[in-house]
Amino acid sequence: MQTTVVGHYPKIPNRPAPARYRNAINKRDRGDISNEELAQVADEVTIEVIQQQVDAGIDIVSDGQIRWDDDQTYVPRRLGGIQIGGLQRYMDTNTYYREPEVTGEITWAEPVLARDWEFAQKNSTRPVKAILPGPFTLAALSVDKHYGSLEKLALAYADALRNEVDALVAAGCKHIQANDPAIVKRKGDVAAFSAAITRLFDGVSGAETGLYTWFGDVNGILPQLLDLPVDVIGLDFAAGKGNWDALKGASFGKTLGFGFVDGRNVRMETPGEVADAVKRIAALVPEDRLRVNPSCGLEYVPRETAFEKLKIMVQGARKAEGVPA
Amino acid sequence: MATDIQTKNAGKRAATTKLITTAVGSYAKPDYLTKARAEFSQGKISLEDLRELEKKATQYWIEVQERVGLDVLVHGEMERGDMVAYFSGEQGGNAIKGMRLGGLVRSYGNRYYHKPIIGGKLEWPGPMTVEMWEYAQTLTDRPVKGMLTGAYTMVEWSFDEHYPSRRDAVMDMAKVIRREVEELVKAGAYYIQIDEPAIHTRPEDDFQLAIEAMHATVDGIDAEFHTHICYGEVEKVYTEMIKLPVKQIHLAFKNTDFAYLDLIDQYGYPEDKDLGVGVTDIHTRFIEELDDVKDGLRRTLKRLPPERLWILPDCGLKTRTVEESEQKLKVMVDAVRDIKAEMGIA
Repeated sequence: MQTTVVGHYPKIPNRPAPARYRNAINKRDRGDISNEELAQVADEVTIEVIQQQVDAGIDIVSDGQIRWDDDQTYVPRRLGGIQIGGLQRYMDTNTYYREPEVTGEITWAEPVLARDWEFAQKNSTRPVKAILPGPFTLAALSVDKHYGSLEKLALAYADALRNEVDALVAAGCKHIQANDPAIVKRKGDVAAFSAAITRLFDGVSGAETGLYTWFGDVNGILPQLLDLPVDVIGLDFAAGKGNWDALKGASFGKTLGFGFVDGRNVRMETPGEVADAVKRIAALVPEDRLRVNPSCGLEYVPRETAFEKLKIMVQGARKAEGVPA
Repeated sequence: MATDIQTKNAGKRAATTKLITTAVGSYAKPDYLTKARAEFSQGKISLEDLRELEKKATQYWIEVQERVGLDVLVHGEMERGDMVAYFSGEQGGNAIKGMRLGGLVRSYGNRYYHKPIIGGKLEWPGPMTVEMWEYAQTLTDRPVKGMLTGAYTMVEWSFDEHYPSRRDAVMDMAKVIRREVEELVKAGAYYIQIDEPAIHTRPEDDFQLAIEAMHATVDGIDAEFHTHICYGEVEKVYTEMIKLPVKQIHLAFKNTDFAYLDLIDQYGYPEDKDLGVGVTDIHTRFIEELDDVKDGLRRTLKRLPPERLWILPDCGLKTRTVEESEQKLKVMVDAVRDIKAEMGIA
């Protein structure tokens, strides 16, 4: 049973530790350092947060998405046909993303994520998973002034992102994950969602593909998700209690990303709580197809809390393994 | 709840009844105050020293608002960094019992805040905003609004380690905020603004909870209550939002180029409420043209009469510079003066 993360990791620590990345952005904005110097700091902070995940005992780490401003715009900024608009609340959080405005045909020019992944993997003793913004969520959280339907827009995003997937596979990445949470709030659009994920991952070989959701459950649409060409499905059991019901009676033939530890609250789980939950889920999905991760990315909590939560999660997972089911 | 303030509120009223001008709440902190706040958090200056400078800056903003000619003033929130964190002990503020300041969390871009934590039962800790309100009111003959954050937003923008449900936390928070409202009324405040910028976070799940919490906060208290609701998907919640038990709802009209007027056309606006109209965009540096602001006023006046309209910037001005803020207030007041002259009203 492996442990992993869902996506982002807090970019800065609490005081009195220096907030290097935040300070570097301020300096760049004032013109005191160049974009290249800022990128250098981003690289160093990426190494730092990979090391924190490794220290916490995580088996498959991410690069912490340190360079990402939000879950939406990191790749779209570099695509054609898209302008980046104003701030919008991200789902039901108190965090905000810049809203992509699709004004023309979406075009892809060159790999965005492969370089980041190569850098992260070179600096990690553990496998690094690459994170893609899911095409459906991108479409759902964009202003569409060109395609005229959610499905067409999601497919256009998927086509562009497929180039990213292929570049990652070519670079040697073994774990590629699309974070596509908006479907839990728009279950009626599952056909468009399925079409987009299929376009994104169908026929990929040489790498494991994953699909993660959060902030809700997939009760009612799990059968459609289980038909998709992905190896791992990640579900949020902190905000999506309905996922327990969804799994009962499902024939879960994939690997489950079990998001039990709450990535949105500072209330600390105990290793015992985690172990009990893992044993409960192991009755529905066999342990060798379980992966334990937080319920979502960790930027919703302070850095120190994120680290502590990962440690407790790993302890809980190990504890569950040590006890015969 | 025991209350001894159900007597008639004798607080100051606006001197005019039509197109009353006011501001939303916050202003930029002068550089000396920003520096002092940093020094206070590093333990280099005392709370008394900090409070002195906060009062100096408050006096500055009261003078600006009088000079520009606003009818109803705000104190400017020089003592507050964040509208929720202030009530959990930020910068020497009086923390609500059960709340504490948490670590840094990013909200967007390079902006971070100390997200508060609800770790125990929420209880009123004694007055949190009264001293500053009283101070500001001594500086002017015009009414100064009392300024609070609503129970729903207070909980929504905090971590909750304690309560079994959001409802439990919000309803206890409403008791705390109500107690502070009572203190402001006792101190002589007539206009009390209770901001709920988080109200449309989860409209399908618990908008009714936000309305219920507002009832629990204000019902039976003789004061004029206003609420400010920030940008967000107002169109999704409009028909429920207008049921909030307050005299005035103000919205950021300018930022959406007055698209909210369509909502009024389609769904109406309650007869018993005033409307607060944001006429200058607080997210832009440039100052609106006088004619542009007047145009917005004219479009709004086609829907509602002047005695039911209050005129404001879209939101708090704390992200604008001192100079930009004064100019944005001035163009607003100038526009109102011109429109009143056109209409032949005082």
